Amino acid sequence: MLYRTAGQFKTSYKADHALFPVRQDALLLGFILLLAFVVFPLTASEFTFRALLIPVLIYSLAALGLNILTGYAGQLSLGTGAFMGVGAYACYKLLTIFPEMNIVIAIAMSGFFSAAVGVLFGLPSLRIKGFYLAIATLAAQFFLVWLFQKWAWLYNYNASGAIQVPNIDMFGITVAGPRATAMTQYYFVLGVVSVITLFAINITRGRIGRMWKAVRDMDIAAELVGINLMRAKLTAFFVSSYIVGVSGALFVFLWRGAAEANLFDIPLSFRVLFIAIIGGLGSILGNYLGAILIVALPVIISTVPATFGIPVDSAMVEHLNVMIVGALIITFLIVEPHGLARFWAVIREKLILWPFPH
Amino acid sequence: MKTWMKAAATASAMAVGIALAAPALAQDGSIYIPNLSYRTGPFAATGTPLMNGQRDYITLLNERDGGLNGAKLVYDECETGYNTEKGVECYEKTKANAVVTQPWSTGITLQVLPKSNVDEIPILAPGYGFSAMADGKVFQWAFNPPSSYWDGASMILNHISDNDLSSLSGKKIALLHLDHPFGKEPIPLLEKLAAEHGFTLLPIPVGLTEMQNQSAQWLQIRRERPDFVVMWGWGAMNAGALTEAAKTKYPMDQFVGIWWSGHDGDLKLIGDQGKGYRSISWSVPNSESALMQDIKRHVVDAGKSHINQAEGEFDSVFYQRGVMISVILVEGIRAAQEEFDTQTPDAVQVRWGLENIKLDEARLKELGAEGMLVPFSTSCADHTGHGGGWMLEWDGSKFVKVSDIIQPDRSAIEPLEEEKAREYAEANAPWPVNEECEM
Repeated sequence: MLYRTAGQFKTSYKADHALFPVRQDALLLGFILLLAFVVFPLTASEFTFRALLIPVLIYSLAALGLNILTGYAGQLSLGTGAFMGVGAYACYKLLTIFPEMNIVIAIAMSGFFSAAVGVLFGLPSLRIKGFYLAIATLAAQFFLVWLFQKWAWLYNYNASGAIQVPNIDMFGITVAGPRATAMTQYYFVLGVVSVITLFAINITRGRIGRMWKAVRDMDIAAELVGINLMRAKLTAFFVSSYIVGVSGALFVFLWRGAAEANLFDIPLSFRVLFIAIIGGLGSILGNYLGAILIVALPVIISTVPATFGIPVDSAMVEHLNVMIVGALIITFLIVEPHGLARFWAVIREKLILWPFPH
Repeated sequence: MKTWMKAAATASAMAVGIALAAPALAQDGSIYIPNLSYRTGPFAATGTPLMNGQRDYITLLNERDGGLNGAKLVYDECETGYNTEKGVECYEKTKANAVVTQPWSTGITLQVLPKSNVDEIPILAPGYGFSAMADGKVFQWAFNPPSSYWDGASMILNHISDNDLSSLSGKKIALLHLDHPFGKEPIPLLEKLAAEHGFTLLPIPVGLTEMQNQSAQWLQIRRERPDFVVMWGWGAMNAGALTEAAKTKYPMDQFVGIWWSGHDGDLKLIGDQGKGYRSISWSVPNSESALMQDIKRHVVDAGKSHINQAEGEFDSVFYQRGVMISVILVEGIRAAQEEFDTQTPDAVQVRWGLENIKLDEARLKELGAEGMLVPFSTSCADHTGHGGGWMLEWDGSKFVKVSDIIQPDRSAIEPLEEEKAREYAEANAPWPVNEECEM
């Protein structure tokens, strides 16, 4: 009933290739956007903004970047955290060298820096694949974090070695820095994430996306049918690192407010990788589902027992969190290796048939 | 499939409901003092006794006196694991009803610092954080009593040079430090003093990931043969450095640490080999003092403490320093209660209280903690108090006090504090500055 597709005829190729071939999908998306743009901002407390909504969006964006590379183009990468760092440091340098620059432009430009670094470290992918490539990107991870620590110019010779976000105004509203309100930052992040998601959906559906998928599924066959492997792999690295870089800039400027080099170390890369895997590789929706799970879970574990009046030590909560996330990852990989996105796809298929079993 | 979906739906409905409800924490008539603790992660070994000490002093006041002047103190921990990201989350989570925030890491302090002017919650960072926070005119909401890291660096140099820095001329001092905001703190001052007094400063960073394997750093120390090694270490790094020093037979009497590098547990690992290792400290453990005996009676023996008695945690430097940190905080709250004639002062009033702490010897005696904390007092312009510190020396089984109170060389530090505070305010403009120092 809810997902009845009867009567939705497609009479042209254009209609068949539309973004939403099923009307209910569009309605559902409209509902989610309504929640995101209107309902959440009206009801959320500042804590919810800063501990749940903003980080979920930023982590989804980072996972989206990684997913384009790993899920769509089949190139393993363990350097996501460092590429986020490149975006963040580039944005910091741009805004301190040109204080008058609009922050949207600075964030958009900082993506290009990490894209360039990403392509550079993606070059080995032309010769090596799979785990070997993962190790090559791991080198990027170590090298870049080391560079963030050693190259004092990057953090303006700050005594503490950390980068700090100054107050930044845009059209008279403070959007970044300690004076910015959580709601402004939320809307800013939501705007950027929405635009990039739209772009990612379209690029993965189109010619370039098909090229990536062909390379992922079998690169020799792809080369035989005339796909330029070099171009396919490097564009994947470029687009992926660009998105990851933007998410890194947002991460520091619109959420954290300050950052040290260590922040961009391997744990961050793994966190983003977990989100992509749990959400589902090769899917856009999965990144959001994965980020909701990974970001919200610790917050829920730390607040649920307290609201029921069960005293749990905060240290205990931390141990529990690590154990539960670990167990969840194992469970998901066994029960549904394609992640949460696949779960939704199964539910959707059932809903289309409902109430008639086939 | 059906049960899966049902479970998922219930879980997500619950999650949304809980997430949207603002966390309600403090009740009426009580004072909510959260602490961003780290009992997990690589620094847990040093964090746990500190948190236990902080917690037990508050428990003592609630058990023995029924709170503070009738107001119950609600001590609450939020676990950060020394992770800056979690620290910020904890800060956001606990700030609503808090009268103070204790960020417990230089990195988290730096993150929270710019928000303090907006949220108007005092930050209490005893003996850590950004040294320039001493300038109360610029950092109106941040406090780091009783001594800052720059004070600590100056005290160490004064002690090893017998109060004559010119005697260090031509010598080489290695700074073995954690490669993290905390470890980098003393560098600006040490560089300045090195240029003035003609000694060579050799900073040797230890990365977070190589804390427990410092063979590269100690190889460098062996090659460079510095006259002194000053350590700015923390958590697992201390144990790594001390065992490596013992292994390379570096003379322990030339090895001096900051107050966070004087943890009993680390030195117990090497025992006698650590004899002669010194650490500057603004607190001295004294298990026989009236205050500690009260804690023993009302908290530890009553089974309300989390300490590990078998390991002798009660007598350790860090546990009793944790107690002293709570003493400092409670004195600030008490001052606010008296000044504003209220049982439950708010954050703004507690800030006034923290600016008017008077912990002189008489007051410490009254508390039963004579000689356990350097006497100091804060003011609107001076948020640190600069009480100085004692030198503690490891005698093979415990730390003993080996000096009178050492004072930092304030004339060398003050201009640097002013300069860095001004730089910070400019970098974070618009930053309100309280030149007249009025409430």
